[in-house]
Amino acid sequence: MTAIPTIAKAARLIAAKKLSPLELTKLCLARTKALDNQLHSFVVVTEERALADAAAAEARVMAGTTLGPLDGIPIGQKDICDTKGIATTCQSKILAGNIPDRDAACVERLADAGTVLMGKMTTHEFADGGPSFDLPWPPARNPWNIDHFTAGSSSGTGAAVAAGLILGGIGTDTGGSIRGPAALCGIAGIKPTYGLVSRAGVAPAAFSLDHIGPMAWTAEDCALMLNALAGPDARDPASAMRAGADYTAGIGGGIKGMKIGVIHHFHETDNKVSTGTQAGIDAALATFRGLGAEIQPVSLSPLYDWHACGTLISLTERAAAYDEWARTRLGDFGSRVRERLMLGAFVSGVDYVQAVRRRRELRAELQAAMTGLDVVLTATQPEEAPRIVGMEPWDIGRKPGFTMPFNVTGYPAMSICAGFGAGGLPVAIQLVGKPFQEAKLLRIADAFENATSVRARRPALADAMVPA
Amino acid sequence: MMPNDIDDAALDLLLARAGLSLTGEQKAELKKYYSVVAAMAENVRKPRGRMAELAHSYGFTAEDL
Repeated sequence: MTAIPTIAKAARLIAAKKLSPLELTKLCLARTKALDNQLHSFVVVTEERALADAAAAEARVMAGTTLGPLDGIPIGQKDICDTKGIATTCQSKILAGNIPDRDAACVERLADAGTVLMGKMTTHEFADGGPSFDLPWPPARNPWNIDHFTAGSSSGTGAAVAAGLILGGIGTDTGGSIRGPAALCGIAGIKPTYGLVSRAGVAPAAFSLDHIGPMAWTAEDCALMLNALAGPDARDPASAMRAGADYTAGIGGGIKGMKIGVIHHFHETDNKVSTGTQAGIDAALATFRGLGAEIQPVSLSPLYDWHACGTLISLTERAAAYDEWARTRLGDFGSRVRERLMLGAFVSGVDYVQAVRRRRELRAELQAAMTGLDVVLTATQPEEAPRIVGMEPWDIGRKPGFTMPFNVTGYPAMSICAGFGAGGLPVAIQLVGKPFQEAKLLRIADAFENATSVRARRPALADAMVPA
Repeated sequence: MMPNDIDDAALDLLLARAGLSLTGEQKAELKKYYSVVAAMAENVRKPRGRMAELAHSYGFTAEDL
């Protein structure tokens, strides 16, 4: 094994007994030891647990009782997901000693699929704000250039997947926290339909906007992980109580005749993206045309409208979730979360309800706009990863982001790498599907990845550490 | 004072209602961003009439699919 495998490739090799889960895990642990002092992508490395999980997977493989394609695959869990007997800190001083007595649903499901738990991944405090330098742990660094930001809040998962420390991991997404780090770290990440993956045991950021989903090197790998994660859960009151599907069903299937709507005004005027990002979008559209897809423009309400609606809901629900600590331990939060909690005081009950009424209108608008389309496309991030030092506090004043609209609507959305811009940093596109049509979304993303060379390139830092 | 500005007394009232104890410096910083939140609150106010429902806890319908 001289290269970092995808989950799909590792699964095939493991099934053929050409790759040992134990050796794969040891490789990932060695890479973590060598690189994570620069990346800070882990809060905790669970080496003992990882080796035990890998040994168990290897025994199943040898006995012919494998649990499926995730059996023996090293993964990470974002540190807002409860892990029984393992510290779950939410990257916060407030929960520094917190040891849960039960696994979150996403932890249970990946464990049941035979994955190897490598550790808990760095996040922004309570999945909010960031990057922060006043927390008990440092922020994750971007493996494409460690002086640059990963985006967040699933920052550790994004960095570790890109650097090949883990093959996949869990992210959570309240306004873009899976898709943002996926974009800036040059990997794939999908925010599934609201309610498809259980939120049980995951610290809330904003209840009605929170989604759990996989992050991995490719769309196919995300599909493999989603197969294990999706499905009903009585522990989650927002569970769609809907059976999952085979999300790999469309992988390799092509996209001839599919219809892709492009929300040009989001990324060309409402929040104009960088030259590199626009070039990535243009090249992606050319690729999709070349694959036989039909491209047509789509117009929605201005990006700010979606941002305003989502931000008001987010500020309020977060303030409610953390009300007790905000009143009694405000000084124990890092500055960025403290800012958000303070801003919650500005949203009245009427403001919140008006935002939730607006949400209904915006969802109906997207539903109508997607009639006859398979997916819509826009940017994920406005530009390549910025430098991590010197980012301004009080980010509420920033231009509206491209990801919040699909937390507001609950529609599935994913980010995939679309090339490289300034300084060799990744650029990305965002694809948005209709509810519960993740298989189609992943099929389109997979077709793009296979038609381009974007998945052939890893960060130089990661390549340099591949053992010969 | 701009329409979307907030005076010290109103700020103190909102913070007391929220149960937040801030330093003078924190209050001064926070006050700068009142207009950003107020603009968002204005944006979601639309002439939708009294019957318009909330989106809370929605389910997906056949039309979504």
